[in-house]
Amino acid sequence: MRLRKQIAKAILLLVVTAVLSSCVSVAAYQKMHLNDKEMELNARKVEYFEINAASYREGAVGINGGKVGGGCGCN
Amino acid sequence: MQRYILKLFLLIFCTFSLSILKGQQTQQIDEDEQVEKKQASDWYEENEVDINILFNYYDQDGDHAAVTGGIGTEELQSGAMKIIVNIPLDTVSILNIATYANVYSSASTDNIDTNVSSASKEDLRVQVDLGYTKKIGNRQSYTLKASGSTESDYVSKSIGGSWSMDSKDGNKQLELNAQAFFDNWVPIFPEELRGTAITLIPTTKRKSYNLGLNFSQVINKKLQVLLAAEIVYQKGLLSTPFHRVYFESEPLPRIEKLPSTKLKFPFGFRVNYFLNNYIILRSYYRYYVDNFGVKAHTASIEVPIKFSSFFSVYPFYRGHVQTASDYFLSHKKHVLSENFYTSDYDLSAFVSYKIGLGIRYKPVWGIGRFRVLSKKKITLFKGIDLRIAKYSRSDGLDAYMISTNFAFTME
Repeated sequence: MRLRKQIAKAILLLVVTAVLSSCVSVAAYQKMHLNDKEMELNARKVEYFEINAASYREGAVGINGGKVGGGCGCN
Repeated sequence: MQRYILKLFLLIFCTFSLSILKGQQTQQIDEDEQVEKKQASDWYEENEVDINILFNYYDQDGDHAAVTGGIGTEELQSGAMKIIVNIPLDTVSILNIATYANVYSSASTDNIDTNVSSASKEDLRVQVDLGYTKKIGNRQSYTLKASGSTESDYVSKSIGGSWSMDSKDGNKQLELNAQAFFDNWVPIFPEELRGTAITLIPTTKRKSYNLGLNFSQVINKKLQVLLAAEIVYQKGLLSTPFHRVYFESEPLPRIEKLPSTKLKFPFGFRVNYFLNNYIILRSYYRYYVDNFGVKAHTASIEVPIKFSSFFSVYPFYRGHVQTASDYFLSHKKHVLSENFYTSDYDLSAFVSYKIGLGIRYKPVWGIGRFRVLSKKKITLFKGIDLRIAKYSRSDGLDAYMISTNFAFTME
């Protein structure tokens, strides 16, 4: 079990390293697709309430723009 | 575990900082100029008052209410509204004001006592957020924010800030954010336990501190990723005073009891891929672990299908699986020798999913124009977002939700 976890971590590290090292330089004029509204790397504003509801109904929170425990009676 | 998390955090921060610095050195000057021109024009476009008016209706039902010790109805209806206003103060700073109001009716909190009170059946939650963002040069910005919220049994204040920096080529961004919450409970206990020793609680205060790190990276012309990690430390009253817990050998319940400190560590990523002019893939993954024993995996995928540049429909699916907290047991399964106990099914082991559909309609020239507040200023109705979702948890809790966002700009 411990070995499997270590292998999984190593694979994850390799994948992250491979992805980040494969980055190519993209100039501003080449960012037509990346600047598309649907490509934004954050939760949509309209998702706010759903993220809030999940923070109450689930034991896990964070890194999504939702509440992390303060300011409410959530977990 | 705390040391391990701090080391990991430091490692991620150093890696990304070095990555940004390295990227800066390898870029060509003409690309820099193009990016700076684009950033300047983006900022100019943002120099309009942006208004977002959001609505939500939420309806849930289940049979494991924590108020009644892990059994009983969880029926709840909630209506919420949020208004977000971004006001440019000058060419480099923006004031952000957000107000939020939520009215809900809960069958389970109505079971705190047999009398209808302001803390049960129906409740109102109000929140106000203030933020100030300032751009430093073309690549850095910082935000200062403060907020306050109140409901019948809870008052909260918070302060926070963030700092972000773009690489010169605009292909990387590093963001650090921190926030502190100072909350105070107005404890309301189950009717049959009021005035007994069982309701003695060490404090009514709760403090939460969170530190977050985001790093986004353009991989190629169609792919970009965001890596994110956060540490949350909480101290104070972390249990809910009106949650009952029944023991196998006692007829009367006790109130939920949980440790007074909690450390949470979520981390994960977003990957967005522009498949073609019609289909985009938006994905998200989060791993979560805390010292209450909850470990969770959350993943979601959205597939926006673009019928035109201003109209898209996106089905989405979100899956979540978590282990139970060390302190959770179901109704009448707890024994008196335990130091901490809860029968809140939000902290139980379960699998949940959410499935739904979203629609985004945002024409280039807006849906309509009208004058409001001032005859000189024109308000542009920019677009609408609509989302409908069904949430289902393996313990039998089901919820339906509908949300809308109406976007306006005052020119």
